[in-house]
Amino acid sequence: MAAKQKIWAGLGLVACLALPLIITDRYIQHLLVMSLIFVIFSSSWNLITGYSGQLNMGHAAFFGIGAYASALLALKLGVSPWIGMFLGGLLAAAAGFLLGIPALRLSGPYLAITTIGFAEILRLVAMNWVDLTRGSLGLYGIPPLPGFWGIRFTSELTFYYVALAAAAWALFCFRRITRSEFGLSLQAMREDEIGAESIGIGTNRYKLTVFTISAFFGGFAGALLAHYQRLISPDMLSLGETFQALTMTMIGGLGTLTGPVIGAVLLTFLSEGLRFVEDAVKMDVRLIIYGGLLIVTILFMRGGIMGLWERWRGRSAGDGEEA
Amino acid sequence: MESLFLQQVVNGLIVGSVYSLIAVGLTMIFGVMRISNFAHGDFSMVGAYIAVFILAWVPGWFGWVGSLVAALAGVGILGLVVERGLFRPLITRWTDLDQIMASVGLFFVMENLAQLFFGATPRMLPDPFQGATVDFGLFSTSMMRVLCISMAVGIIILLQIYLNRARMGVAIQATAQNRNAAQLMGININLIYGLTFALGSALAGLGGVLYGTIFAIYPTMGAIPTLKAFVVTILGGMGNIRGAIFSGFILGVAESLGGAYVSMEYKNAIGFVILILVLLIIPHGLFGRSEE
Repeated sequence: MAAKQKIWAGLGLVACLALPLIITDRYIQHLLVMSLIFVIFSSSWNLITGYSGQLNMGHAAFFGIGAYASALLALKLGVSPWIGMFLGGLLAAAAGFLLGIPALRLSGPYLAITTIGFAEILRLVAMNWVDLTRGSLGLYGIPPLPGFWGIRFTSELTFYYVALAAAAWALFCFRRITRSEFGLSLQAMREDEIGAESIGIGTNRYKLTVFTISAFFGGFAGALLAHYQRLISPDMLSLGETFQALTMTMIGGLGTLTGPVIGAVLLTFLSEGLRFVEDAVKMDVRLIIYGGLLIVTILFMRGGIMGLWERWRGRSAGDGEEA
Repeated sequence: MESLFLQQVVNGLIVGSVYSLIAVGLTMIFGVMRISNFAHGDFSMVGAYIAVFILAWVPGWFGWVGSLVAALAGVGILGLVVERGLFRPLITRWTDLDQIMASVGLFFVMENLAQLFFGATPRMLPDPFQGATVDFGLFSTSMMRVLCISMAVGIIILLQIYLNRARMGVAIQATAQNRNAAQLMGININLIYGLTFALGSALAGLGGVLYGTIFAIYPTMGAIPTLKAFVVTILGGMGNIRGAIFSGFILGVAESLGGAYVSMEYKNAIGFVILILVLLIIPHGLFGRSEE
């Protein structure tokens, strides 16, 4: 079983590496890069909400902090984006830690509204601190990732490999975390908080740790996007951005590793497919479709696509995949 | 100086009356059904658009009365449909997460459908007083705003009478206090759920019409009443109707004063700052929670 899985994983890796070489259309390559960035972003949201059951509706805050921090470090201080990306992630982690101390004592709607409030406040700061952020115009002319060995990271093709490496690293970390004792404790806590506490799991400390990690990767994904698009705006901090991660994860399968990956790729390509419809009606129908799909998933398709897959394989619904 | 302060307090009370009205609907729904409806403000948006269309069709006082009646009925029916179609099936397989996320999905669907059908152009409700103002000496305000606060207060008083005197109103309160006991007393819980959600949504719709007397109406306006109503509801203690009424006015005044003396740009952040502080210090809100 394990050997078979390794072969599949190897084939998948080869396919991912070869994909942009087979598909040479730059627009499709661009969609692949966006998918990978959203794989990291949705998976990091899934870590806090899917695995530990804490509804974070302000994940866009970390996305935005990472993007703005890395972009500003590069623009104002000339910090190399390779380092800036990690610093952006660390700053987002610090913000997550500080927010988490008071906020994670809350749950359900209280936590949701507090995290929305946090992201909204930061969005207002990004809109109004014009000297630093250029307000609603956003930051433009953000430096790309500096090249080396004659490779430049300004094309979709080269950036794809950076994003792929980043996504692979993030997913590797998430896999390790969720399979560790820590990750299992989180899931126990999600199912039964009092029960988990009674067997000696320090729920508050665990929640704070996972929230900080989740914030780090959210910020890291944002920084990646900033140096890819080279243009960011306060919209990155809006509820709509969190909603994207939420919908991608829910449709793919909440609380599974593969779910957000499937969801991110599927919805990125789907929303581009909707371009034809949008050109016809001259407006953004993406969020209507996202919202509709989310509601249908919650009502009729428990566990999203991974849930369907598990049921199809005739297994009991659980973690989604076995090692 | 003093009159500026007083003026700001009055402005805050007027806006606050609308917050109260919208938040009362939200807190009622939470109190009875334990549903946190993040699409609540979109019901206000729908109410406001109903008023826009009716007033374009029938101007004058008939139009105003018609708008309020139509908003009450139209948004109430919409609420009933949403309750039956979306929230009712979720009550049985209950998790907070699913329910909140479904309402957030609804929020984005409604907001963007409105954009599709109504267009992005902001609308204003016509002023039945042709811009007339009243001067109270120390402060002044427009007749339209006087109408707004009187309507809001009037509706809240009517609601209180309904909840305390009418048979169904008392049944709603009983269900909020103890669902099982209410059921044992022969109250039809499903009926109460439908009624509460329709009534709560209709209040948001009426609030939306009044909101339109102060602010511009546009398809994505729903986010602001949703977030304000949540801040107010949590400040007042979730499920606590009186708490929500008072907190609405408190938030209105706090924002107005904050906007005048602290920073206009961060006016919309004031509510969240208060919210976070209150949750830190007194998690059950200023007036306690109505708890089972």
